[in-house]
Amino acid sequence: MNRIAIRVWGLLLFVAVLLGGFGFFLTEYFTKGSDWVVVSGSPHVYNGENIGCGVVVDRDSTLLVDLNDGREYSNAENLRRATVHWIGDRYGSISAPALSHYAKEMAGFDYFNGIYNYGQTGGVAELTLSAEMQTAALETLGDYKGTVAVFNYKTGEILCAVTTPTYDPDNVPEFSQDDPAYEGLYVNRFVQSAYTPGSIFKIVTVAAALENDPEILNKTFLCKGNMQVGVDEIICDDGAHWEQNLKQAFCNSCNCAFAQIAMDLGAEKLQNFIEKIGIMQPVSFDGINTAKGNFSVIGADPVNVAWSGVGQYLDLVNPCAFLRFVGTVANGGKATEPYLVNRVSVDGNTTFKAAIKASEQLVSAETAAILQEYMMNNVTVKYGAENFPNLIVGAKTGTAEVEGKKPNAMLAGFVSDTDMPLAFLVCVEDAGYGKTVCIPIASKVLDVATKVLK
Amino acid sequence: MAQFLQTLQSANAAYSNVLVSILRYGAPAVAFLLLFRCMASMLTFRREPETWGWLRLENGTRLPVTHWENVIGRSKRSDIVINVPQVAKTHSVLTRYDDGSWSITASDSVKGICINGEVVACAELMSGDVITVGGVNLEFEAISGRLKHKLSQRRTKGSSFGASLFNLLLLTALQVLVCLAFLLNHGQKEPQTVLLAFLGIMAMEWLLLLFYVCIRRTSYEVEIVAFFLCTMGMCAVATVVPAEALKQLLAMGMGLAAFLLVGWSLRNLERAKKIRYIAGVAGILFLLVTLVFGKSYYGAKNWLEIGPFSLQPSELSKVCFAFVGASTMDRLIKKRNLFLFIVYSAVLCGCLALMNDFGTALIFFCAFLIIAFLRSGNIGTIALALSALAFAGVVVLRMAPHALQRFATWRHIWEDPLDAGYQQTQSLMCMTSGGLLGIGAGRGFMKYIFAADSDAVFATLCEEWGLVMGIFLLLAIVGLTLFAVRSAGMGRSSFYTISSCTAAGIILVQVILNVLGMLDVLPLTGVTFPFVSNGGSSMICAWGLLAFIKAADTRQNASFAVRLQKKEVAEDE
Repeated sequence: MNRIAIRVWGLLLFVAVLLGGFGFFLTEYFTKGSDWVVVSGSPHVYNGENIGCGVVVDRDSTLLVDLNDGREYSNAENLRRATVHWIGDRYGSISAPALSHYAKEMAGFDYFNGIYNYGQTGGVAELTLSAEMQTAALETLGDYKGTVAVFNYKTGEILCAVTTPTYDPDNVPEFSQDDPAYEGLYVNRFVQSAYTPGSIFKIVTVAAALENDPEILNKTFLCKGNMQVGVDEIICDDGAHWEQNLKQAFCNSCNCAFAQIAMDLGAEKLQNFIEKIGIMQPVSFDGINTAKGNFSVIGADPVNVAWSGVGQYLDLVNPCAFLRFVGTVANGGKATEPYLVNRVSVDGNTTFKAAIKASEQLVSAETAAILQEYMMNNVTVKYGAENFPNLIVGAKTGTAEVEGKKPNAMLAGFVSDTDMPLAFLVCVEDAGYGKTVCIPIASKVLDVATKVLK
Repeated sequence: MAQFLQTLQSANAAYSNVLVSILRYGAPAVAFLLLFRCMASMLTFRREPETWGWLRLENGTRLPVTHWENVIGRSKRSDIVINVPQVAKTHSVLTRYDDGSWSITASDSVKGICINGEVVACAELMSGDVITVGGVNLEFEAISGRLKHKLSQRRTKGSSFGASLFNLLLLTALQVLVCLAFLLNHGQKEPQTVLLAFLGIMAMEWLLLLFYVCIRRTSYEVEIVAFFLCTMGMCAVATVVPAEALKQLLAMGMGLAAFLLVGWSLRNLERAKKIRYIAGVAGILFLLVTLVFGKSYYGAKNWLEIGPFSLQPSELSKVCFAFVGASTMDRLIKKRNLFLFIVYSAVLCGCLALMNDFGTALIFFCAFLIIAFLRSGNIGTIALALSALAFAGVVVLRMAPHALQRFATWRHIWEDPLDAGYQQTQSLMCMTSGGLLGIGAGRGFMKYIFAADSDAVFATLCEEWGLVMGIFLLLAIVGLTLFAVRSAGMGRSSFYTISSCTAAGIILVQVILNVLGMLDVLPLTGVTFPFVSNGGSSMICAWGLLAFIKAADTRQNASFAVRLQKKEVAEDE
């Protein structure tokens, strides 16, 4: 019997396996647990694809959505429509990556309580968006598809970023997949799209010329309304602009002049400059990565280099990335990184607070100053300063040709005001001229911005 | 009662929230106290040998005979050590029987034993007989009934009735707390059924204590631990499938019946040895019947449907296996015994492999390892068995795609959290969401996961009751095992010791596979957590196995499965 009594201690091996294995689990638990809780699909924090706890408010604490208990959206229909692409819908058709990114902060997870204290309610995420501006932008866009965005180029706060077409998450429409009115319904165009920029890209070309050609300010450009490049032809739709300096060519948005500027610079310098300012790279904020742009002229025919300089050919820009560049110009050459989530708090304790992030000098302060002046000149000379009462605005319109459709109307600009340092971008698809379509939209949104910021 | 439930459920939200917060700390605190008291008693009791007789040397020294089966030999590990060079390491076995008679059997290594000058292989032994071992004369003296009674009176009691009563009160308090937590949960489905189920468990445990009082047994720790596990199991049922709560209660009742039945059959060793053969045949039969008439669910053909009932006979086979593996010492010293047992085990595992039930096969294999080691003490045999397992494992992985799939997912669950790793990643997310104290009764999300009340029951309980409660569950199982190990030192017969350790081993291995599998520490096997998982067959098996552990508890007045000494006195006179 003694022998067996000794052998039974062998059972301790199994005990050791159980305790050792569980100990191993515990180390994993206490090192990775806080990530497990907020993996997409974690049932206490998520509601299907989208985060399912917490409350989301705008910069003035206006409720956008209460994520608990199947999501309760704002009472205002247009606000629901204007923000659904940021806060997500009930079925995960539209995701909310920025909110999911702060799931840990929203859930208020800690190892002792798990999410017990907050699991039923969650925290409060305060976005940089303004409900009023979102609504105004959506309303002025009307039935157009596109995006309207405004951000503070000093802080990086995105005050407005509307995308259409959209829908009311409380009243989901029935639509067929090929209904053109709902084309790209689930896409947040500000983040996920890349547009042919058209003439707003001339801002970039001017910057490239200023940075790379010391003689550019002394040069003049002759425009006869069209220009022969090899067998191809560059055309200015509004006729001949005759002799112009850079500022005038920019104001006239003269294709012939910019074709020359681009060809003078050459493919390599253009490409290098584009890469240096990073405008084709995705912008990252709050767990969101925007779509990439495209600019490829190395090895292209001269005419295509020319078309690239006026924002056609293979050029594609993501609205957010372009807005960031406009902000760079307005900010004296340094980019401020945009962001959407300003603060997350649980029970009054801040669990996340956004910080201002500025890039290194992307273009020189002189270049930025000249561009600012040119863009402000555009407004006073061409677009009408009366469209922006009490504001000093610099801008550039664009009319981007797209095959088989009316052109996309584009507008990029900024407000020169230390109290209201805003950069804006308007992209309207299948619309026509940038000036006629976009200026009223920007005018309305900036008007609301004045009220919101004061 | 309906009105009472309504009052609870419609209680002011603020008021009930306060109550829930108190319950949150209260339930683990009571559980801790309960487990601590039980474990302390189970792990620290004094291990006093029982004395059944003496061997008197010529110089007058009396060597006590402290077991029913005693190995005489030169080896230091013998129960009666005769340190003379001529004596074989294992010379013979001195065996006592239920009726108080004795015998001696020579081991294979000696030609015969000299009893009163006569050389025999095996003989009945009477008081006053002289055994000659290597020239040493030992006069055998069996203990008299009166003295035995006197000595046994002096032995430490298992635990006092007062302690058992207090433990049971604690357990009842825990049950009241958890039940209340469910009833306070607004969304609780079938609150009436849940309440009845918890009341049913309370009734069962108090009736069992009453029964013990009637037959003058006082030790109640092992049962309390089992009831604690069952209570937590009921918590899982109440949140996942509240409608099945009464079914689970019925399963517990049947389990308790199995516990008493198996315990009773072990009271008499001679009877137990006979039942062993029946159990052996039954164990195989259960599997064969399943193989022929069984239904397969989720890949494994291990269900038998009889009318409205469905059961997993392989669970019952586990109890049989614990019987079959046991053996008395006089047989153990003969070598041929293990061979038959190996063949038997191989047939069982073969049946399970044909049923595609590799999880259960693995449990049987581990049980086989334990038994083989306890019986032979031979590391070589174990190594051989392990290599056989490795070989079988390779074959299985080649033949069974679902087994291979689980191996492929192992440690890679986060790579496919929506498909292959779904059950486990959800378990981890939910467990972590619960923190140390849990998210609250009925408030979890594990209930929507497949097998939340069986394979994933550990995660379900951790989510709602906290990681701390999960650790208590594991400690309870570890406590049972250590108790079986400690009891072995004062075991009467190797039959009891082996079967008790086998039973503890089977329970432990199941917990290892169930818990560590779901936590992605080991590959997922999908076996049940004894006492906790929802399922009748599993519950009956767990309680049946517990009877073996109880039968090896020889503390005075501790176990219903061990006869009281007084009765034997009466028989003697």
